[in-house]
Amino acid sequence: MIPFTLVTKNLAKHKLRFVLTVLSLAVAIFLLCVLRSLVVALNAGVADAAANRVIVQSRVSLFVQLPQSYGPKLAQVDGVECFARWNWFGGYYQDPSNFFAQFATDPKELFDVYPEIYLVEGSKADFLANRKACVVGAETAAKYGVRVGDTFPIIGALYPTADGSAWDFQVAGIYRSKKKSVDENTLFFHYEFLEKSLESGFASGPSGVGIFVLKVAPGFQPVEVMSEVDAMFENGPQVVQATSESEFQAQFVSMVGNVPLLVSSIGGGVMIAILLAVLNTMLMSAREQTRDIGVLKALGFTDGSVFGVLILQSFVLCGLGGLLGIVLAKMSEPAVVKGIGSMFPGYQVTNPTLLEAVGATAAIGFLAGIAPALRARALSVIDALRAVR
Amino acid sequence: MKDATAAAMIRLRGVTKSYSRGGETLTVLDRLDLDMERGGFYALMGPSGSGKTTLLNVIGGLDRCDEGSVEIEGEDIARMNGPELAAWRAEKVGFVFQGFNLIPVLTAQENVELPLLLTKLSRRERHEHALLALELVGLADRRKHRPSQLSGGQEQRVAIARALVSDPSLVLADEPTGDLDRKSADDVLALLQRLNREFQKTILMVTHDIEAAQRARAIVHMDKGGTLGRIERVDAESSRS
Amino acid sequence: MALVPLSYNLRSLAVRWSATLLTVFGIGATVAVLSGVLALQQGFETLFSESGREDVIVFLRQGATNEGDSVFSLERAQILMKTLPEIAVDEKGVPLVSAEMYLAVRRKKIDGGESYVPIRGVSPLSFDIYGDGVRIIEGRRLVGGADEVIVGKKLVNRIRDCQVGRTLTLNTTPFEVVGVFDSDGPFASEIWGDRNRIGEALERPVQSRIVAILKEGTDLAALAERMDSDPQVPSKVLTEREYLTSQTQALSFVLKGLGFFLALVMGTAAVFTATNTMLAALASRTYEIGILLALGYRPHAIFLSFLFEALVLGLAGGAVGCLMALPLNGVDTGAMNFQTFTEVAFAFRVTPQVMVTAVVFAVMLGLIGGTWPALRAASMRPTEAMRRV
Repeated sequence: MIPFTLVTKNLAKHKLRFVLTVLSLAVAIFLLCVLRSLVVALNAGVADAAANRVIVQSRVSLFVQLPQSYGPKLAQVDGVECFARWNWFGGYYQDPSNFFAQFATDPKELFDVYPEIYLVEGSKADFLANRKACVVGAETAAKYGVRVGDTFPIIGALYPTADGSAWDFQVAGIYRSKKKSVDENTLFFHYEFLEKSLESGFASGPSGVGIFVLKVAPGFQPVEVMSEVDAMFENGPQVVQATSESEFQAQFVSMVGNVPLLVSSIGGGVMIAILLAVLNTMLMSAREQTRDIGVLKALGFTDGSVFGVLILQSFVLCGLGGLLGIVLAKMSEPAVVKGIGSMFPGYQVTNPTLLEAVGATAAIGFLAGIAPALRARALSVIDALRAVR
Repeated sequence: MKDATAAAMIRLRGVTKSYSRGGETLTVLDRLDLDMERGGFYALMGPSGSGKTTLLNVIGGLDRCDEGSVEIEGEDIARMNGPELAAWRAEKVGFVFQGFNLIPVLTAQENVELPLLLTKLSRRERHEHALLALELVGLADRRKHRPSQLSGGQEQRVAIARALVSDPSLVLADEPTGDLDRKSADDVLALLQRLNREFQKTILMVTHDIEAAQRARAIVHMDKGGTLGRIERVDAESSRS
Repeated sequence: MALVPLSYNLRSLAVRWSATLLTVFGIGATVAVLSGVLALQQGFETLFSESGREDVIVFLRQGATNEGDSVFSLERAQILMKTLPEIAVDEKGVPLVSAEMYLAVRRKKIDGGESYVPIRGVSPLSFDIYGDGVRIIEGRRLVGGADEVIVGKKLVNRIRDCQVGRTLTLNTTPFEVVGVFDSDGPFASEIWGDRNRIGEALERPVQSRIVAILKEGTDLAALAERMDSDPQVPSKVLTEREYLTSQTQALSFVLKGLGFFLALVMGTAAVFTATNTMLAALASRTYEIGILLALGYRPHAIFLSFLFEALVLGLAGGAVGCLMALPLNGVDTGAMNFQTFTEVAFAFRVTPQVMVTAVVFAVMLGLIGGTWPALRAASMRPTEAMRRV
């Protein structure tokens, strides 16, 4: 039988100490949640990648374009149902710091290859019909106040116009995506528009195709399609690397550096610091309760229930701090998205992350409480009663 | 030495207890034999180091003797293991300490209720019993106060209420008036006497105060080295009430 | 002014040794993490900034932020190289100017995965320009016009096929690795080859930058202004040192920001631990303080005494943190320079600057943690303090 009032009242005895410990725990758990969510966002593209999509890029470098002539040849590969060309546009809106992705692509094929994209405003027909049209992701549209019918001027950094003016895209639709394979921050426009602009001298920039995104027809093995594509262009003019979409996305994540290691070491450091803080509080608290423990034992409470009193104090303390940290992490979601949402599209504090936070909290609760609890359990009644309060 | 023969509630035989301190072994209780009868009120007196507190602790199951048997109401508690002793203490013994030993974060009522958590009583029943005990010691109106808000005498009376609340057969008090002024000491001793006379509680009280000892019904004198001295009967009329 | 003996503080710390240790380690862990990240940043920064030369001048396409962005057509590059009057000549009368082609290419790593490695197409004059900054340590120099490459020392153990005698295939052309070179700066993570051969193999008939040694006494500022508005080849002019330093800015900024953010979070926990510890010290020394005050010690002496104790905690924490971080010094690591998308190998540098920052931070943590308890101690009244609790 564990006197629960003792658990809560002992924690509340030193209010300042209690508050400080809970707050520092909350801050640490908050940080862990945010870090984890950033990693999850980075990997989101990988997780939601479609198994039937294949990316064809230059084997040499992502910065090398592939010849236009590759398109028709790819269409002839067994198992390729359709494909879309994708060219990274690399522009910005008004100021270089207003960064988000733009791609020149084949509009009809875009929706075929990425069925998860759907329009929430505007019309697909309008987008297809107008060569200068574009569709904008809902997040970016909200950030810059762009609506259907507006002209969205983008300065081309990679494809500068001859007179330095912006590329005027006409917004025909706002899109959202059902999966995290496509983020909601991108602008898609007509590949033809890019081609014609380069031809006419309106703008200059790298010719060729950035990547081809293939949709593998049902019944065909993506791996076989990839081998066939690689073999087809083995002799050039540009050797290619066909990869699954998940591999392609993973490539970007790994480029940020050894993210798992970095995040683990940071997370580890934070956990250690916070564990020490909580342990310190628990040890101090436990020491002050030495005589009380003697009294409890004298009254007939078992060693086990005394153990319980102390370990519960640790769990309650950590539970409160962890809960606060989790709530803060969840509440800060909009702010983080606003701040660095373009670098980490789809940032969200997901349930698995929250579960991890709960696990971390429980682990700290246990580790911080076990030593004082064991000590209390082993304490002899006489010695405990003699302790100076 | 035997005081009474039949119905000895407490029967100690050959009880030995030693401590080692700094390489030396001190024998505090040396093959002690003792009988105490049910309903008695014994004062344990003796110079410091005579082992009176140790004896109290052994009888209360707070400490183990090295050899011998400690029979309380027929059960040899020297044979019990930790959990058994704890359960036994909860049921049979109430403690009153010199330093009161109330739990500072709990109110008077919560302190008194503590031993009841070890029973199967419902919450309401626990409240009722605790209130009753507090009324007995005259502190029902202070039940929501924490120890820091009570005077020393009041704290000790709460401790006594706590010692009573689970209706133990034995009440063990270690220098219960040691930290109290004369008036409070008086109140506490009067209470103990009442418990003994009205409620037939067997009380063992360690004290070095001869006036407090006079309030008991028998005085057990102990000597340094642990050998038992004589038991002195205190006359019922000559004791103050 | 009578000060409380320092031995009181040391004794107090020793008596409550577990709380002291926990606080010291809490602060130490925080400081170690901070030092680690700063050492990473220092290693990265010094690699670039210390190796850049003041006398080597770099010409980039106007508007480019790095070589990856910068593109000169072959024609324009020639115009600049041939017509710029400020270019110095060597003893044979040959102008010390060279055009280089830069591209980040995907290569497989020895222990799995891929990485982007810079390829630099150079001309024989590049070696004359860099002089001792680039030294062949194995094999031989490049022969102009041949399909061969030399690799930077840092790639030998990390990237596949980057060893003398191996063959590196770029697109469809095999290149033999004929030598290994060392350089103090980021060149050591690059692959070098003949510009023309590399350009043809990659189908990339462009130059990225032009490097030159200029005549003595050239006014660089004037030149930069002139080239900014040059009608034929508008370019950006900077010293190699300036260029390299600018390359590090983004990552340096991120690393420093990361370091301090972490330090803030962990520091908060450490401060709480320190405050808790000092509050406990206060609680157990209350009686002693009462006596000191009654004897005539002034409150500020008490305040200073407690502050001193907190200072000792901070210093000890700083020392522990530095000790934990020191082993990192010289450890090889790498980071992704996301400005050029390439991985750069360098070593952690635990510079004196890093250690000083760490210790100062630790002391600050201790002082911040200890101020409030010190104030409370100093404001105690002797009679209250001496009342035996």
